[in-house]
Amino acid sequence: MSTDLSHFQDAFFEESADHLATMEEGLLNLEQHPDDLDLLNRIFRAAHSIKGNSGMFGFTAVGQFTHKMETLLDRLRNGQLSVTPAIADVLLRSTDCLSSLLEAARGGAAPDPETIAKLEEELASASGGQASPAEPGQGPASAQSAVNQAIGGRHFRIRWTPPSWLFQRGLDPIQMIKELEDLGTLVSRTLDLSSLPAFDVLDSECCYLSWIFDVETAKDKSVVESVFDFVKDEGMLTIEEQAKGEGREARGDAKELTAPPQAPRPSPLAVSDSEPKPLGEILVETGVVSRETLDHALSQQKRVGEILIEQHAATPQQISQALQKQQESAIHAKKGADTASIRVDTAKIDKLINLVGELVITQSMLSDLSVRFEMSQLAVLLERVAQLERNTREIQERVMGIRMLPIGSAFSRFPRLVRDLSGKSGKKIQLVLSGEETELDKTVIESIGDPLTHLVRNSADHGLEPPDERLANDKPELGTIRLNAFHEGGSICITVEDDGRGLNRDKILAKAIKSGLVSEQEKLTDDQIWPLIFKPGFSTAEKVTDVSGRGVGMDVVKRNIEALGGTVSIKTALGKGTIFTLKLPLTLAIIEGMTVRVGSDTYIVPLLSILESIQPKAEAIKTLVGKGELINVRGTYLPMMRMYEVFSLQPEYTEPAKAILLILETEGERVAVMVDEILGQQQVVIKSMEQNFRKVDGVAGATILGDGTVGFILDVRGLLEIARRETPVAA
Amino acid sequence: MAAATLETATKELNQQIGLTTDGSQFLTFQLGEELYGVDILRVQEIKGYTAVTKIPNTPSHIKGVLNLRGTIVPIVELRTKFGMPTIEYTMFTVIVVVVVKEKIMGLVVDAVSDVLNIDKKDIQPPPQFGAKVDVSFLNGIGKSGEKLIALLDMDKLLSDEDLQEATTTVAA
Repeated sequence: MSTDLSHFQDAFFEESADHLATMEEGLLNLEQHPDDLDLLNRIFRAAHSIKGNSGMFGFTAVGQFTHKMETLLDRLRNGQLSVTPAIADVLLRSTDCLSSLLEAARGGAAPDPETIAKLEEELASASGGQASPAEPGQGPASAQSAVNQAIGGRHFRIRWTPPSWLFQRGLDPIQMIKELEDLGTLVSRTLDLSSLPAFDVLDSECCYLSWIFDVETAKDKSVVESVFDFVKDEGMLTIEEQAKGEGREARGDAKELTAPPQAPRPSPLAVSDSEPKPLGEILVETGVVSRETLDHALSQQKRVGEILIEQHAATPQQISQALQKQQESAIHAKKGADTASIRVDTAKIDKLINLVGELVITQSMLSDLSVRFEMSQLAVLLERVAQLERNTREIQERVMGIRMLPIGSAFSRFPRLVRDLSGKSGKKIQLVLSGEETELDKTVIESIGDPLTHLVRNSADHGLEPPDERLANDKPELGTIRLNAFHEGGSICITVEDDGRGLNRDKILAKAIKSGLVSEQEKLTDDQIWPLIFKPGFSTAEKVTDVSGRGVGMDVVKRNIEALGGTVSIKTALGKGTIFTLKLPLTLAIIEGMTVRVGSDTYIVPLLSILESIQPKAEAIKTLVGKGELINVRGTYLPMMRMYEVFSLQPEYTEPAKAILLILETEGERVAVMVDEILGQQQVVIKSMEQNFRKVDGVAGATILGDGTVGFILDVRGLLEIARRETPVAA
Repeated sequence: MAAATLETATKELNQQIGLTTDGSQFLTFQLGEELYGVDILRVQEIKGYTAVTKIPNTPSHIKGVLNLRGTIVPIVELRTKFGMPTIEYTMFTVIVVVVVKEKIMGLVVDAVSDVLNIDKKDIQPPPQFGAKVDVSFLNGIGKSGEKLIALLDMDKLLSDEDLQEATTTVAA
């Protein structure tokens, strides 16, 4: 039962994340189109769903906070207030807060209660600030009760125990709850399951439930009562009008609302997620100690770590290490949770089911044929086998396709980011997105978010000039950042483009010389200069800002992208702008590779890392200190390594002149690797070595070759590292 | 409830076909003249020997990897692992596929013989030879008639170097 509930909770969190995204997107649009009622309605509906669902799972904090947002949204929707930038800002910050509240409900760190209180106040004053002059006599009433007044001010508490024949007469409590919602605002609803019998004696046609509703409405009590017209003769129904603001001012009381007062045992639904109250709270509530005494006592309380240090049981270093470990594992656990599920378009699944159907048909035709096979039917057999092959290939593609998601989900965070950056830096920035529908692997999408964010921040902070500088340079005041995604060959290209000042060749060069990355005598081409900004610790920004300029970032971007098997390239023109192009493989599960042979072993070299392959002349190879071999490739000497030496294999050739050299590039470094022969180029499916064995140095993974045997995929970086680690290999 | 019924049923069935469940069942196989046993529950399947792909820079008893219906499975040569002389593979040479700590591995052995039921009373603790002969990977010695069967402790046998190496290489 509890696992079931947690399953639903996961769905709730997923849905809430969607709703949050809708709200944020809507709010950003709303700033541009303050009069768009559709938009407002959409935002309101999203907020409303979060509120309703969170109530169902007992996440009171989320529900209460969303309710306050909803109040403001409702007033905007009804035209009682109009959308101002300030209001939009408060709402946007509230969505952030709501997202952290949801995170807290999921087991993450709780947000700062002060921030929440402050935001709640801002929300209340935004919704109450321009309260209509109809109630000037409010006087000392709080802003919150002014809101109540605005909505209608009447607050009813309804306790309803429906008659047990409710379902038999075809009456649906959900319908009634909906009607209550239509009357005004359903502040809270609490389901009491206490009279629910054990499952084996449960009569599915009987109603065992009862509810407590809190409704705020402008309507009369008789109207509220009319909702229950059909059922009020039997069962139990009380409708009490509460004094204004009662149960809304004090938080403690609000808590009470969610716990069914007459239920002797807590309803499993309402408290499933909330912890039992701390001892201190109970002591205060029962009057044993005062709040002050408790706070004082709590302030004396120390953390385990501090106590251990005091008792000299552990050193501060040990404790901080342990704490770090704890944090890391928490982060790790969270990461695991994030990637747990995937949403797939039903159309994709339908297509897949069709294909599997076809596969089954082909298979049965084949087995039918095999039972009474004669040589005369060979042509038919070949045709069927070809059909099977087609089916299989298509199913493979479709199954891969399930992991493919439109990149739009990775782009969706940028409108907000750019808006905030533009606010902070005082620059006017517009963000143009295109190619959001381009699909790529879910894992890739998850991993490119951070690098892309770095690039967009960079463009906004360094790339684009302040408005006056732009105007002085005959540029439109409004700077543009363009994000585009498209397919190119077997890879995905994502470009981040700005029309700002472009990279400054001289500045980068000066900085590189100053930090010793290049010497003054070196003559570098543009294409050699731009990649310098990917070096760790490289920043030409004159001042470090809150946004960027600390020189961490670009190197991380490059590293992350390369970890995904992709590349980053730069195109720039001084004064015109910069384009960063990320080229990524479509999926991580399949790579394009070159199969090479060393002796009797077959290896796959990722095509992305191969620059060229050459058949060297004996005189092009030189040695240093008798061992280190170098190969002259059109005037540049590259270190050469023999794959059979690194991997201790039996080669066919030990003479470089007879063998083939692959010029490989990894992290900007070029090496020549000697193999016996190139067999061909093919797509290979990456299989994990760690699943049943462990990571093998120099091997990125394994794959199954055409003949059913296993081939290894070369990890170029790893190969280099092995070669360097054990240079004096006894060969 | 259902599980208990099933258990009783299995017990009865086993008794009928002459297998008692008091004690454990072992798959026994040969290395030269010696008999070894693996807990039958650890065995996933037995397959004939097919060529494997050698993994670069691994200890010699790691024979290589094999494609087992799409999964990459490492193959351990038990003779080399025990420091016994290697022999030519014959048509009896088989790979016993076992599950160790959720990982699947294959063991190359000379031949499989029988599934034996060995009573607890017929199992004695492994003998001590000191440093001369390493028998730390044995669970005990089983007796079945005149035969002596060395019962392997799979977790000790395979995780010691082969899997723990993983942690050291990663940490390095």
